[in-house]
Order: sequence, then C-alpha cells, then structure tokens
Amino acid sequence: MNRRARTAMFLAAAGVTGGFLVAAFTQLPPFGTKDHPYGTRAVAASLQHRTANAVSAVNFDQRALDTLGEEFILFGAVLGAVALLRRARDEDRAAPQPGGVLPSTRLFGACLLPVTVLVGAYVVAHGQLSPGGGFQGGVVLATALHLAYVAADYRVLRRVRPLAVFAALDAVGAGAYSLLGLAGLCASAAYLQNVLPLGTFNDLASGGLVPLLNAAVGVEVASGVIVLIAQFLDQAVDIASPHRPEGGPKAPDSTGEDGR
Amino acid sequence: MPSTADLLPLPVAVPLAGAAVLVLAGRLLPRTATDILATAWAALETALLCLLWARAGDGRVVSWAGGWTIHDGHSVGIVLVGDRLGIGLALLVSVLVAAVLVYSWRYFEEPPAGHGGTFPALLLLFEAGMCGFALTGDLFDAFVFFELMGVVAYALTGYRIEDPRPLHGALTFGVVNSLAAYCSLLGIGLLYARTGELGMAQTGAALAGHRTDALVVTAFVLVMASMLVKSAAVPFHFWLPDAHAVAPTPVCMLMSGVMVELGVYGTLRIYLTVFAGPGGVPAAAFTHTLAVLGALTALTGAVMCWQQRHLKRLLAFSTIGHVGLWLLGLSLLRPQDTAGAALYITGHAGVKAALFGLTGVLLDRHGSVDEYGLFGRGRDSRAAGALFVAGGLALAGLPPFGTALGKAVAEHAAAERAGWLPALYVLVSALTGGAVLRAALRVFYGAGVVPEPSHSDVETSGDAEEPEVRDPQRPVPRTMTAVPALLLLGALAVGVWPGVGRALGSAARTFGDHAGYLADVQGTAAPALTTALPSTDWTLTGVLLGVLSTALAAVLAACAVWRPDRRFAAARGARTLAAWGDRRLVLPLRRLHSGLLGDYVTWLTVGLAALLIALAAQT
Repeated sequence: MNRRARTAMFLAAAGVTGGFLVAAFTQLPPFGTKDHPYGTRAVAASLQHRTANAVSAVNFDQRALDTLGEEFILFGAVLGAVALLRRARDEDRAAPQPGGVLPSTRLFGACLLPVTVLVGAYVVAHGQLSPGGGFQGGVVLATALHLAYVAADYRVLRRVRPLAVFAALDAVGAGAYSLLGLAGLCASAAYLQNVLPLGTFNDLASGGLVPLLNAAVGVEVASGVIVLIAQFLDQAVDIASPHRPEGGPKAPDSTGEDGR
Repeated sequence: MPSTADLLPLPVAVPLAGAAVLVLAGRLLPRTATDILATAWAALETALLCLLWARAGDGRVVSWAGGWTIHDGHSVGIVLVGDRLGIGLALLVSVLVAAVLVYSWRYFEEPPAGHGGTFPALLLLFEAGMCGFALTGDLFDAFVFFELMGVVAYALTGYRIEDPRPLHGALTFGVVNSLAAYCSLLGIGLLYARTGELGMAQTGAALAGHRTDALVVTAFVLVMASMLVKSAAVPFHFWLPDAHAVAPTPVCMLMSGVMVELGVYGTLRIYLTVFAGPGGVPAAAFTHTLAVLGALTALTGAVMCWQQRHLKRLLAFSTIGHVGLWLLGLSLLRPQDTAGAALYITGHAGVKAALFGLTGVLLDRHGSVDEYGLFGRGRDSRAAGALFVAGGLALAGLPPFGTALGKAVAEHAAAERAGWLPALYVLVSALTGGAVLRAALRVFYGAGVVPEPSHSDVETSGDAEEPEVRDPQRPVPRTMTAVPALLLLGALAVGVWPGVGRALGSAARTFGDHAGYLADVQGTAAPALTTALPSTDWTLTGVLLGVLSTALAAVLAACAVWRPDRRFAAARGARTLAAWGDRRLVLPLRRLHSGLLGDYVTWLTVGLAALLIALAAQT
C-alpha cells in the first residue's frame, strides 16, 4: 500500500468513526446534573466502611479485584521490561565515568531526599483518608531514590539502590496483595472482602483492609518503578551496545542535560 | 470447605500469587527447582478449575468479589460469573499452561542468574489474565484482565532479544492491541454514561430502558474492537502472523491455542449479556455482520495459510482461518452453533499447540522454520514427523479427532441456516490441513521435488532464524515431543469421549441464555430454559464431510509436493489458471500483509468504520 492510498483510507475511515463518535456523544446524559448513579452508591458504601477517601474505598474495597489486576499489570510490565532489557550475549558492560556535580546541587539533593521519602510514606499511609494512596505514594518514594542520581552520580545511585532487594520487594508487595485477599476467605467471607476491624472514621487506622492493601501497593509500586528505571538507566549508561563501537557510553551528566 | 461462589476468584488469585512466589524463588532456587515449582503451581490451578467445573454443573456460579452483593439491581462491586463454558475455557487455559511449562523445562538457554523465575512467572501472569477474562461478569474488570493478558503477551513475544525481529513483532502486537483496547475503554465509558453500571448483566438490564441509537451502536463497535483484534478477525488480524512468527514457540502454543479463542469468547459473551436484550443490538444485525466477517476471515486465513513457507506463519494463518469458522458459527447464536464452536475450539487448542510444539523441535535442531530450506532435513526425527502428519490430519478434520467432531456439529447446525455453509468449512479445513500436510511431507519425508519460490513469494521465508536454544549438539529433550503427543491425544479424547461433547452441549445452552444470566446475577428467579439441548453426537454426514475434507487436504498436499502438472499435459490448463490466480488474487492479498505498523493501524480504523456503517444501516 503506498503512502497516499494509506493516508486517504485512514482519513476516510477516521472521518466515519469520528462522525459516529460525535453522534454518540450528543446522546450522552447532560453534564452537571445531580444524577450520579454510581457515585452516590459508592460514597454511601465508603462511609459504611468508614473510609474517608471515597476513591480509595472504590479502588481498594469495592472494586479491589480491579486493582489487584492493575497492580499485577505493573508487576508484569516490570518483569517484562527486566526480561526484554536484560543484557544480551553480544553486549558488554562498561563502567560509567563520574561527572562533576555542583556543590549546591549536591546539598539540594541531600536535603530533599529525606523530605521526599517522608512525603511518599505519608501519601501511602494516608491513602484511606486523603487523596493519594499506594500508587501515587509509591511513585514519590521511587523518585526520592533517584535524587541520588541527579544530585550525585550513577555509582552513588547504585550504592543506595540494591536492585536485588527491590526486585524481591516488588514481588513481595504484589504477592501480599493477592494473599491479603485470602483474609476474607479465612473469615468465611468473600475473596478481598473487607473483614478487618473498620476503626473510627477519619482515623489513620480506619478502613479495615484499605490501608494494608495501600501499603502493599506502595511497596510494589515504589520497588517496581525503581527496578523499571534501573533497567532503562542500565541500557543508557551501563551497557555498551555492539552497534556503538566507539567504546563505553558517556557517563551521566549530573545536570541531566542529555535528556536522561 | 468454602462454597463454590467463594472459590470462583481463586483461579485469578492463585496464579498471581504464584508469579510473585516464582520471582522470589528464582533468586534462591536452582533452575530445576523453579521449573518444578511452576509446574506444581499450574497443576494446582488445573485441579482448582476441575473442582469448579464439577461443582458448576449446568448452572452459573455467581460470586461478588469483596462481598459487595447486589441490592435492588445495583451493586458497587465486581461480579464473577462462572458457567461451564467460561470455567471450561479457563480450564483449557490452565491445561495448556501446564503443558507449555513442561514443554519449556529445558527449552531456553540458562536464564541470567537470579532471573530463573522470570519466564514461568510471566506465563502464570498470562494464565491469570486469561482466567480472569473468562470468569468475569464485569465490563471494566474484563478490560483490566484483557490488559494484563496483553502486557504479558507483548513481553513474551519479544522474549528473544538477540534478534531485532521479535521486538518489532512485539511492538506491532502491542500498538495494535493497545489502540483497540483504548477503543474498548471508550466504549465502556459510553455504556457507563448511559446506564451508570459496569457489570455486564446490570448494563444489559439498564439498556432495556432506552432505544437503540447511535450511542449504543458506537459503544458496541468500540467494545468489540479489542475482542475482534484479539481474535484476529479480518481486517484486524495483521498483528497475529507477525507476532506468531517471532514469539518463542511455547508462547505461540498459548497464543494460538487459547488467547485468540478468548477474543472469540469475549465477542459472544459481551454481545449475549450486554447487547442481546431490548435497547441493544438486534440479533439479525449482529448475525449478518459477524457472519460476513467470519466468512471473510476464514477465506483470508485459509488462502494465506496455503501460501506460507514460514512454518510458524503458516500455523498462525491456519488459526485465523479457523477463527473465521468459529465467528461464523457463533454469529448464528443458537446452542447447537455454540456447542460446535466450543468443541472445535477445544480440539483445535490441542492440535495447534502440538503443531507449534513440533515446529519448536525443528527450530531447536535446525535453526530454521522454512519449509523449503528444511526440505528432507527432518528425516531423522521420525516421531516428530509422524506427530506432525497426525496434527495436519486432525486440523483437516479427520474423525475421530475433536476438531472433526466440532466441525461436524458446527456444519450440521450451519447447514440449517444456509445449505452451502458446510462447503466453507470443508474448504478451510482442507486448505489449512493440506498446508500442514504439505510441509510435513517435504520437511520430514523429503517427498517430491525440491520446491522453488512462487511469483507471489513476498513474505518472510523463515530461514536464518535464531535457534531458541544454544546447544545444537544436545539431543532434543524428550518433553518436547512427549507434550505434543499428549496434546494430540487430548484432542483425540475430545472427539472420542462422549462426555465432553455432552457437557459442552449443555454448557452452550446455558451460555446463550441472556435472560437467565441477568436473573442469576440480579438474584431473581430465572425463567426456565425452553431451547432444546443441542446434539453433539457423531452423525454419518459429519463423518463423511470430515473424511472428505481430509481427503481433499491430502490431495492438495500431494499435488503441491509431487507436481503432477509437470508430467501431464492435461494439467497444463490448471497450471495456467493457478498462475493467473497467484498473480491477480494472491499477490495483492499477500502484499497487504506488509509488516508496516501504519498499514495495520489504517486497517484497524477501516474495520471500525465498516462495522459502524454496517450495524447502523441495520438498526
């Protein structure tokens, strides 16, 4: 198929599909009414289980099975990335050279790292109360570690990031979610049923299973993202491709101006 | 012992937990121990699904995850619904995953230290995605498991990183499937906006309050998009041969054996549950559209299959041909059609997985899957050759294989709607089975003349493939021929053991019962089933048609191998005609399979537009 025929066909077909979409959108219920069939039911259900953050109640209680699947999509994606970005037989490792770092950048990183860890842990731990939770907090936690890369260099990052431990934690977090669901079965209720004591509304220890599932997701997401970024960093920094014969790639520049 | 309803989410949870355990175990245990652990886990899953199959009986198991049961027709939770067709499909998945795990015990080279569990863990995640998809009764939940299945499948397709081709195939697969998945999410969003529900049964019930308008038609086509892409219906099929050509053989066994079939299942499950009632898509419109799509898919798959010399692409196109037959059969919406397709799919899973497994033996020994390049080189693999021939015969519909029984039941049912439909079944079976027999004769027996490329040979040949194993000196592991043999025996058992047909017949009746599904989920009294139990016994016509398609396949293969047209002047006319068809019809069709992602996305859009117009015109 030549380019012009392809473009013409695509545009014609996209035009038809777009036309149908517009026709469908005009038949949607009007925007801004007070009619929220699922929202009303979900909020009532989250209050019933004393979970102040209704979004978390939907994600980790009412539709916890979806989140189980989504958590394992991330787990599978990380595992797939580990498999696809593994060092091939024809690739060599080259030790990255350290680059210079401004003292102010170093200081900034050193100060920000504990703050970021704290914020990440807070977001995970308060998922049942306020916006946030395991997915969001986990990403913040993973970011914290990579301040070491921005503010120091790749070798420092490698020292503070024992990959084997994080890869194991990734599996522990993911596995914990699927096993926490069995608590329901043990209490002769349904899988992933919120059978733990629900606590007091708006307390840190409220929501029953929700904070535990949040913690499991937090561990999984934080370690998963760290492992994922490590694979890509390895490709960019550490592994010498056979197609790049000019030797080891350049060391990471701490200013990050080369787009890494 | 927990109740059956409480056990229903476990086929999802068990392999998920298993994947996490295997990643951990892969760091600590040697490879053999990891493989044994993975196989034991797959066996546990199979046992669990057997228990569920036995307990489900002819009814449905309704399980509300998290205990959020339905009140006044509404729930905030997710419902899993297991009937024998869904549980049976999950059981088929688990059996094939166990077979694939055993097959690949010593298949790959030693994985990098500490990553011994990666491949089996990915397989278990794949299994969880497929089982979840087969058991869920919730549209969004189906999308989640569909994505889980997809993400893992993309990674598994690109698993051999030494070669750039697998990454290209995986990328094509990933982009086309993801685009379709976004369409589906948009469709689910439209349905949710109209009904305020995500459960399939609740959505189906709520649609009854509206008339069929542009929103319903658009939502239907969008939701169907990902199912049709997964099931490789023309023109959504382009990713499949490219992905199968490059994926590791054990992964091909699963993708062709059950993953594609899950797309077919999803198409019907979603139509029957959500759209089959009032306010949905009229049955006549669905039947006409899907039947045309199925017939087109069947013909394209069969013709393309015959043209291939790359063995994995050949088998992949044969899957497309058979998918077309199933879509065609299922579009007729009666229990006997569903029973035929279900039997056909069960038998086909064993046969196709076995054929892929045997192709893996060739790849292992000779580093090639090119029918021409391998000419006569398989002579020393007697067992593999005999099994390959048996697989070809089963694919062509030789009684008493399960494929033949499924084909016979489907043909009998289809003939009631249109007398010429069985001819299509015979043609597709003969072409796909004939192509496999032709390859077997050449590769394993060195029969006939050394083949030469035809005019239309524009696709990849499959020579110079990276062997998927590193040590060419070692003998082929016994498991690599034992597993295909067992799978073929399984396909034989489906046809011989009458219990399978009877169970699937009654499962098909339950599957097609829209009102019963809605009533079971909503906890109201289900109306009694009035449709008759479909007959799944062998009939004389069925056996004769099976023998006919097998004989046709054998004749086609023999003609291709021994080329009688070169010896007899009378055959010259046929040769001229074949050359004309090759140039005028086959070459343009093969050129469409260009491997270019842009082309494939264009075809996806064209397919969507065509479906939208076709359905809108009929409602």
